[in-house]
Amino acid sequence: MSLLELEHVGKCYGPLREHVVLRDVSLQIQQGEMVAVWGMRRSGRSTLLRVAAGIERPDSGVVRFEGRDLCAREGERLGVGIGYCRRAFAPGEGQRVIDHMIFGLLARGVPLKPAAQRAREVLERAEIGHCATLRPAELDCAEAVRAAIARALAFTPRLLLIDEPTIGVDLLARDGILRLLLSLAQEGIAVLASTGEAPGLSGTRALMLSEGELRGPRARELAKVVPLRHSA
Amino acid sequence: MSARSVAEKRPKRNSSPMQSAVHWALLGLVIERPSYGYELAQRFEHAYAGMLQLSGVSYVYTALDTLQCRRMIEEIPGTRTGRQPKPRYRATAIGVRSYQERLILQMREDFRRSQLFARQLAALAQEPELALEVIDGYGQACLADAGDTPLPAPREDCEDAVAGLAARLVSEERRLAIEAKLPWIEYARREFTALAAGRIQAR
Repeated sequence: MSLLELEHVGKCYGPLREHVVLRDVSLQIQQGEMVAVWGMRRSGRSTLLRVAAGIERPDSGVVRFEGRDLCAREGERLGVGIGYCRRAFAPGEGQRVIDHMIFGLLARGVPLKPAAQRAREVLERAEIGHCATLRPAELDCAEAVRAAIARALAFTPRLLLIDEPTIGVDLLARDGILRLLLSLAQEGIAVLASTGEAPGLSGTRALMLSEGELRGPRARELAKVVPLRHSA
Repeated sequence: MSARSVAEKRPKRNSSPMQSAVHWALLGLVIERPSYGYELAQRFEHAYAGMLQLSGVSYVYTALDTLQCRRMIEEIPGTRTGRQPKPRYRATAIGVRSYQERLILQMREDFRRSQLFARQLAALAQEPELALEVIDGYGQACLADAGDTPLPAPREDCEDAVAGLAARLVSEERRLAIEAKLPWIEYARREFTALAAGRIQAR
């Protein structure tokens, strides 16, 4: 069973549903895999991520996380096991970066002390422990992305979704973020990222979203079987 | 020593352009750091793995002879000593200049190859469905190449500064080349999709 599975997913916008964004998209992601979807602007790559996260319902097809249909989770909290990275920080959630990490944990019933401990851990894991006491506005672009990753990591996700992790990030800082995402995948967290920049595809299973259609390997290839050597 | 034997030993300069990519790569390694034959073979295997291949270690000696004949490299005096002499070679000013010119020419060749591909694809204008299949295959190859490009090690983790720099430059060149190709693939797909739609309407 795949960790995440999209099966013939379709999504349209517009009053007459005339703008087709996703067309018969099928995709499987396994635990510990990093998949990156490249697409031009308005290609539907952000929609794909929101549908995969369960934030948006597909018009057709099914999205399954750990075998369960995301749309059928009646009354369940959205996002259990799925971490969707948001770069925006709502002012009401706190002043310092660490406050924003703690806020989400408190909202899910984690007591203050363990929440603060967890917040420090994830900031360290995202390599921005030194930014804990800064205000979000003081972060540079790369630090803001790392903070978004840290916030999603606080809930110990099995799947991490991130939209355009390297957009606006300085060239020399870009690879550090990609290396962080790949290291998370190596630890067993599946990562699905969208990107408008080909360098973001390095080391991943690279896919392309073009006019709503997904191109490239939809599922991880099975291990190649090495034929036994024939005896003489 | 007779005049004839001296003339035989004097390297003859070859005026025709040197074509072998392996020769140029070896010249680059000598420019990077003077080395002897076997050491060059080892450095070549390490630096150009997956890009160029030596047919054998002995080929390095053939290439060194050629580079010497073209006065691109020279033996460092006093290095042919001991029971097993290991003459070391260094680049000459001619060698460095030729290498620079080759790099610039090579870039023009890359542009020409891309244009050639685009022109050849246009030959399928009457069969847009076939062109779309080619574009699809080209796109898949680009995506596979993009995914296979490893992230280079961070600058601070590289013990060998030149090897680290080379890895970063190679990786970035490959990634940015793909960065340019993917939107072109999208553009070409739309052009041929429109052509195919026009043909269907015309029927």
